[in-house]
Order: sequence, then C-alpha cells, then structure tokens
Amino acid sequence: MNKVANIIEAKQLEKKYVTDTVETTALAGVDLRIAKGEFVAVMGPSGCGKSTLLNILGLLDSPSGGTLTFLGQDISRASERQRAKLRKQNLGFVFQSFNLIDELTVEENIGLPLAYLGVPRAEAQRRVEEAMERMGIAHRRSHFPQQLSGGQQQRVAIARATVSNPSLILADEPTGNLDSVHGREVMALLSELNEQGTTVVMVTHSPSDAEYAHRIVNLFDGQIVTESINARKHAAELL
Amino acid sequence: MLQNYFKIALRNLVRNRVYSAINIAGLAIGVASCILIFLYVKDELSYESHFTNADRIVRVAGEIKLASQEANKFSLSPAALEPALRRDFPDIEHVTQLVQERKQTVWYKDKSFNEDQLVFADSSFFHVFDYPFVVGDPNTALDEPQTIVLSEEMAARYFDDPAQAIGEVLKFSRHSYKVTGVYRDPGHSHIRARAFLSRSTHDATLDEEERTNQWFAMGRYTYVLLQSPEQIPVFQEKMDAFAQRHVIPWIKEHESDASMRFVLQPLRSIHFDTVYGADMTAPGNISYVYIFGAVAVFLLLIACINYMNLATARSAKRAKEVGLRKVVGAFRSQIIGQFIGESLLITLIAVVLALALVQTLIPAFNSLTGKNFDSNFVLQPEFLLIVLAIVVFVGVVAGSYPAFFLSNFKPADVLKSDQAPKGGSASLRRVLVVVQFTISLIMIISTIVVFTQMHFLRNRNLGFNKEQIMVIDVPGGDSTLVKQLPSLRQQLLSNPLIEKVSNANDIPAEELSKHMMLAELDGKMAERTFQIMSVDYDFLDVMGIELKEGRNYDRRMKTDETEGVIVNEAAARWMGWDNPIGKRIEYNDRDLQVIGVVKDFHVQSLHTKVEPLVLKLRPQSAGYVLVRLKPENMASTVRFVENQWQAFDPKHPMEYFFMDEHFDKQYRAEAKMLTVFGYFAGLTILIACLGLFGLASFTAEQRTKEIGIRKVLGSSTSDIVVLLSKDFAVLVLIAIVLASPIAWYGMDKWLQDFAYRTELNWWTFALAGFAALLIALVTVSFQAVKAASLDPVKAIRTQ
Ligand SMILES: Nc1ncnc2c1ncn2[C@@H]1O[C@H](COP(=O)(O)OP(=O)(O)O)[C@@H](O)[C@H]1O
Ligand SMILES: [Mg+2]
Repeated sequence: MNKVANIIEAKQLEKKYVTDTVETTALAGVDLRIAKGEFVAVMGPSGCGKSTLLNILGLLDSPSGGTLTFLGQDISRASERQRAKLRKQNLGFVFQSFNLIDELTVEENIGLPLAYLGVPRAEAQRRVEEAMERMGIAHRRSHFPQQLSGGQQQRVAIARATVSNPSLILADEPTGNLDSVHGREVMALLSELNEQGTTVVMVTHSPSDAEYAHRIVNLFDGQIVTESINARKHAAELL
Repeated sequence: MLQNYFKIALRNLVRNRVYSAINIAGLAIGVASCILIFLYVKDELSYESHFTNADRIVRVAGEIKLASQEANKFSLSPAALEPALRRDFPDIEHVTQLVQERKQTVWYKDKSFNEDQLVFADSSFFHVFDYPFVVGDPNTALDEPQTIVLSEEMAARYFDDPAQAIGEVLKFSRHSYKVTGVYRDPGHSHIRARAFLSRSTHDATLDEEERTNQWFAMGRYTYVLLQSPEQIPVFQEKMDAFAQRHVIPWIKEHESDASMRFVLQPLRSIHFDTVYGADMTAPGNISYVYIFGAVAVFLLLIACINYMNLATARSAKRAKEVGLRKVVGAFRSQIIGQFIGESLLITLIAVVLALALVQTLIPAFNSLTGKNFDSNFVLQPEFLLIVLAIVVFVGVVAGSYPAFFLSNFKPADVLKSDQAPKGGSASLRRVLVVVQFTISLIMIISTIVVFTQMHFLRNRNLGFNKEQIMVIDVPGGDSTLVKQLPSLRQQLLSNPLIEKVSNANDIPAEELSKHMMLAELDGKMAERTFQIMSVDYDFLDVMGIELKEGRNYDRRMKTDETEGVIVNEAAARWMGWDNPIGKRIEYNDRDLQVIGVVKDFHVQSLHTKVEPLVLKLRPQSAGYVLVRLKPENMASTVRFVENQWQAFDPKHPMEYFFMDEHFDKQYRAEAKMLTVFGYFAGLTILIACLGLFGLASFTAEQRTKEIGIRKVLGSSTSDIVVLLSKDFAVLVLIAIVLASPIAWYGMDKWLQDFAYRTELNWWTFALAGFAALLIALVTVSFQAVKAASLDPVKAIRTQ
C-alpha cells in the first residue's frame, strides 16, 4: 500500500459519561487511523461505544481523553465553533433514523449544508439538482420527509451528506431502519461514493453491509478488539 | 438562509396552530394594551410642551403661614406681585397675570349663551404663551380696555366665520367687549380659556392699594418668563429676599405674625401638581402615569413569558432540527439568530394584529379615558419608532431564552434514534407561571380594592343629603336678578312638590375660597384661615345639614347678617371651643359671634378632610339657586322650575344640574382611570390563562402515555383531572402567597391618598385568590378532561 495521508488519527481516545451518580466509560483507549479514500466499517454489540466513537470522529462530541488529529490538525481541544467549521467544510453524516427536518422539503433539506457554507444561490441550486439526480429523488423534490418511504428518506439524507462534496462521510447504521432491498441500495450508493474518492466510516450490525468496507474494526466495551482487512474488497480494488 | 429560516418559522406556525394562536393572541393583546397605554402616558406627559417657551416659564405660587398653623398653599398670588417683580428684576423677560372671571351670560344679536372659563389677561400673556391666532394680532389684541379674544370654539357659537368676529361687540351683563382676535386653543395646558378678556377692564375696578399692596389677596395666577431654564433655581433663591423686602413690612404694618413665601413652579410640572390646587383644569395624577406604565410593561412581560414557556416546553419538537443544523455545520450563534428571528417574526405578526386592534378600540378607549386620540397616529414616525422598539424588545426578551436554551442542544444527544430530550427546564416554567399569576393577582386585588373604595366614597354619609337637590347655576354679576329672588322663591314654593328653596354663592364640590380671620383663642384673638361659604337662611334646610348646637340663621333676627356666624364642628374643634356659642370671630372688620355649630359635612371629595369652615349669612348670594324636590314626579317638577325660571328671567339661558351627580363628578376622572385599570387587570389574567392553557395542553400531551397506563390500572377520569390540575393549583397558591403582601402594601399606599377610606379586608384577598384559582383550574381542567377521556389503548400506543 502506498503512503496515503491519514484523514483521521485517534490516539488513546477515551469518553466517559457522567450522570448524577453513575459514570459510564463508553470509550476506553481507542487507537484508530483512517486513511484518505478508505471505507471502514465499525462493528460490535449494542452499547459498546460505536456511536460514541463515530460522533467523536465526526466532531459532534469531544473526547474526555486522548488526542484526535483531523487532516493533520490536532482538534482534541478545539472550540465548538472551530469544530462546526470543520464539519461543514469536510464532513457528511448519515443516520439510522434519517434525521431529516420535517418542516423542510426534500430539496430544502439537501440544500441546508450549502446554505451554512454560504454557497451562492445559483451554484447551490445546481449542486442540489445534481445530488437529487444522482440519488434518483428529483421527482420528489417538493415532498416533505413524512411523504417519503424509508429508503427514499435515506437517499435524501445521503444526498444531503454529499452535496457539499465532503472528504469524509460518517454513517451510523444507515441501513438499520430499512428493509434489505432498500438497504442494499443505500450500500451501493455509499460504495459508489467511496469509489469516487470519498472516505467513508460506517457503523453497522450487518455483516453483509460490512462486506462493502475495506477494513472492519470490531469494538467491545469501548475498546478495539480486532481489526481485519476485507480481502475480497481489496482484491476487487487491485484488479 | 434567511428564506430557509422564514419557511421553517411559517411552517411551524401553521403546523402548531393552537400554540401559535395562543402566542400571537397573547402578544397582540399585550402589545395593543401597551400602545393604548403609551398613547395615554404620552398625552399626560405632553402638557404645555407645545408652548415654545415652556421650559423657561414658571408660575409663582404662594404660601402663607399664620403663627401656629400649617402653611396655606395657593397656586394664586396677589396682584401686587406683578409690579414688584417688574421693578426688582429688570432682567426677567415678562411677567403676566391671569384673573378668572365667573361664568357669564353673553349676548350677541339674537344669540345668548352662558360662558365659563373666561379669563382676564393682557397682551404680555401672549408673549409668554404663544397661542396660535387665527385672526388678529396677539401683540396688541388685549391692549385696549373692553376687548376680547375668543377661542375658535366660542367664536363658532356666535359667528359663522372667525374673520367676521373681528370688531363685533359681545355684550356681558356689566360690560361690552369688542372682539380683537380669535385663537385656536392648543389644549393640553393647565390653562383653559374659552376667551381672554382685557385685564385692564378688570383692574380698573381695583384701587391703588389693592393693585400694589394687598399681599394676602391671592386672586391671580402669576407667570414669569425667564431668560433660560437655568435661571429657575437662581430666581427661586432671590424670592425669599423679595418677600422680605415687600411682604414683611406690610405684615408688620398690620401687626400680624404671619409670614409668606413664594414658590416657583416650572410650567411643565403644574399639570401634576396637587399641592397648590385651585387650577383651571383638574390636575393629572402622576402616579397613574407610573401605574399605567408599569401595567404596560407587566402585560408585555406576561405575554413574553407565555412565549418563552410554550417555546421551551415544545423544544423537544425542535431539538432534532437544531441537532441537524449543527451536524451540517451551523454555528451556535446562527441557531440563536434563527430562533430570535422567529420570535421577531411572531412579534411582528402580533404587532400588526395589535395595530388593527388598536384602530378598532380607539373610539372606545377615547370614551373610557375622556381623551381624544386620533386613530391615524399610526402614521407618525415617532410612533412607528415606538412600535419598532416594542417588536425588538418583545422579540428579544421572549426569544432569547428559548434561543439560548435550544441552541445549547448537543447534536450527539438529540439525534439519538431512540429517545427525544425532555422539553426544557420545567422548574423555570413553573417559576415563570408563578410570576405571571403573581402579577395578575396583584392587579385583581387592586381592582377589587379600588372598586370597594369607590363604592365607599359614593355611599358614605356626606353630612348632607345630596339627593333630589336641583341646582340652578346663575350666571354671575347680574344685580337685577338678586332683587327678584324673593318673588321667584314664592312662586317656586307654591308648587307642593317643592320642599324648600335656597340661594347661595357656594355649594359642595366647587372650589371654596379661604379667608383670613381673627378668631377667639383662649380669650385672645388669633389669626386663622377658614374656608368660607356664603349662604342664605334656608341653606341648611335645603341641604339637610344638621345643627349640632345653637341655631340656624333666622329672618326675624335682624342682627344675624351683621353679627352672627355659623361654623362647623371642625372649626370649633380646631379653636378648642368647648362652648362654641358666643365665641368671637372678626372678619372683614366686622365683629361676629357664633350662633350655631353644624355637624361636619363634606364640601369636597373624600380625598380631603373636612376643614374648618365658616358659613356666612349673605341673603343676596345669587351664584346658585338650590331647590329641594319631593321624590315624586321629579321630571314634571323640574319642568315647572324651568318654566318659572324662564318667565322670571327670559334673558338668561337656564342651566341646572343635580347635586348628587355634581358631587360624584369629582370622582369621575378617577373612576375612569380605575375602570381602565380594571380592564387591563382583566386582560392580564386573560393572557396568563392563555399561557396556562397552552402549558396544560403540552403537559397533557406529554403525559398521554402515563395517563393511558393509569387508566388501564383503574384510575377514574376525575383522578386524572386532579392529577393534572394539582401541579398548576400549587403554582397559583404560591402566587397568592406572593401577591397578597405586595398588593396589601400598594393598596394601603393608594388608600392613604384618601382622608376617608375603607379598610383592607382579608376577604378581598381570599376572593381574588379564589377567583384566580378557579379561572386557572377551569383553564387547566379543560385540557385535563380531554386527556383523561382518551381511549387508554390509543393513548398507550401513541408515543
Ligand atoms: N449521553 C449519554 N449519557 C450517558 N451515557 C451514554 C450517553 N450516550 C451513550 N452512553 C452510554 O455509553 C455507552 C456507549 O453508547 P453508544 O456509543 O451509543 O453505543 P452503541 O452505539 O455501540 O450502541 C452505552 O453504555 C451508553 O449507555
Ligand atoms: Mg449506536
């Protein structure tokens, strides 16, 4: 493997939640490197800290210990404002429960990141159009989320996550709420994005979804227990 | 981005119609009240401001102190003040004096009207006060004797066009006056005149001594135009030396131990002055300005609290959106901006509604307050500025808490697929509800106390019987009338439905003059000022005033007019007379002896104590004719009196009123203000209840599942209603505990303004508390019953 720059480097990441009397350790010293262009799947039983890890990697939450380097920049102690800035410039998120804004139409939901980036109207419109075409939801542009099926909603969410051309997409159980047909559709889309150069980190329970990844990280009780290379995928790529 | 915010805001408004309606209605009512109160306050504060020189005009008030007596305070001053001020202070720009003339009948060709608010002035008056003239030259209009300047309103009664008035002659009973000008009354001044008559006409009736050296003859208003407002304190300091120079020698000459001082009142403070009294217009009450100002702020605050409570209560529904916006990179400041913008939008909608509301309410508000607000005030730039200020104030106050609260959500928390966050701090909402109800309760309690006091005033025994007295207001100064009074009396008494007839110069609820007399004190004669009423033999009988000791004036006693005097109990008490009959009073160089003492009766409103009073016999007093009617067939008796009067005096238009109405009129301005206050109190509780309604429906919604489970487990509907209402009842109870002492303190203060007052009762507070509790419970249980009657199975299924 040639020397690829890492997009994220986590060293000894720790996360503790303190509520009233109980202290929960969600992450207990996680070391992880994600290289540019990689597709990484994070797996593990419920409650082992997958979402916590993803949120920290996605700069939605800050670790209680350890260091986190994002594109060569140490952001373990970055302010919320700096993290928000990095998020909107580099990151896209896809969630299990879609998390679309109910009061906005498909088109408006997709355009939201561009609005916060301050992309000019015409340019934004063009990119939203493109994203809708790519996800095959252009005909639903003025529908509200509740008027769409789960699969369609997730495609809108992916369109929203990609519209700003982020270098990294974080997906937390993106197929969790979908039937298998729609699930495969979503995986195909993520895979395609990855092939076009976007780095993807995905949490999943489904081994078949994990098949799409280059590398699988297994988490247990807040620690990485095994890491494995997806040989089939690698082979395919080398061809 | 703005467009995006705007869309979200509008879609949320439409989607949550009930909440939106509550918020917008509450804010609209609050803002509308605020605007009305603003108009009222601004109006009250704008007195005199239209005069160019307002800031450097002062009125010279006088205080006379007799040995052991509190200083008597007069807004009036002596004629001698004017020439003395001119002589001593050549650097003041102008000194001018006004003298009030009694009500007069005025004739022009075939027209005649009784005119009051007639004022003697000279041309220098118009240098000090720039009245806008429609025709004529203010610089010279009143230079000649027997000239008159009319207000447009008065001119219109006699002439089709103001220009026609110039040079025409109006006939009064004693003089004729040539019209030399017509002015437009600017209103909003403590000076109110239908016409200004040349003062030289009046001054000609005074002798040199009266004009220049009678320092205790407090008969005029004196105004001084200074070079600058800064001169006021400087000038005030000089006034003590001035009094020393002029008044003290004169007092010494009269071997009196009195003293006198002059007080300068800045023109714009006069409207709210209650110390010096005796004005051409009733003074305003600055405390009402403060109270209404506070009420406006309270109303807005309560509406804002509704917004804050409902917005945070429903924050769970917006949490996901906030989280998402943060995920895609929104800064916290952008989210705060969005929510404050949203509250500004709602406020803006509410304000537009409020403006429409104000437009429709203006006529009713005018009749309620007796003011005359124009409904196109909306177009004034100054007003728009105020409205803008309200929008920003409300938008920011109401919007900032929800904005900071909502923008604080962590996306990692709120986007969890399995649970939604709780709707904000419930304890803060409780505190705010307590605040709302405390304010509402204070206003309700105040309203009850105020109306109890008003009822008390109206029904207190005044010491005379104000019912069934018809009072004919006789235009002054026509001596021919006086001579004919006895025959008029005979004709009136021929009607069996007329009990008694009296004629007097003074009646209750009219300003009485105070005079200095010498009264017997421990065997010596001491200087004292007494209120004085000039009455005839029948006054006590007609009025139903009771004698405590001695006797009434008697026609058969020829000496009563020259040697007898009747005083009231307060006077006897004040002089320390155990046996008042036979005690001596010296007045106008006459030696009088007390022949009777009447029980105290109220000459003035119950704000003031009954003061020491002298009832002086003057059988030729002809200011008023008082007719006591039998209660039967009053209308026809009144017509009979009218006919008799017309036959007796066809020259004067007859004017009459009834004593009870006349007396109650003293409270009318106050009653109006208090009614307005009552309405606002009602609105406060209405807005607070709107908020409670919203909160209750939110709570019920939030607890739907719990209610369902409870019902499955066997709770009855009423158990559920109690469960849901209990929390709110506790809040209202806390509010009662908080509001009671505050209201007690405030109302006790207010009542201290009255010399005669009701006592504060615990039941007032209980009643108000009970009412608030009842209203709150009805509001809440409406939602509770709805929630409790849900089908439990459905309730459990909905999340
Ligand atoms: N906001 C929080 N407060 C307290 N504990 C939390 C919070 N979020 C997650 N946890 C705890 O941290 C652990 C890891 O949670 P999470 O990362 O959501 O697990 P996963 O996504 O693997 O199911 C769990 O034990 C969970 O209960
Ligand atoms: Mg998870």
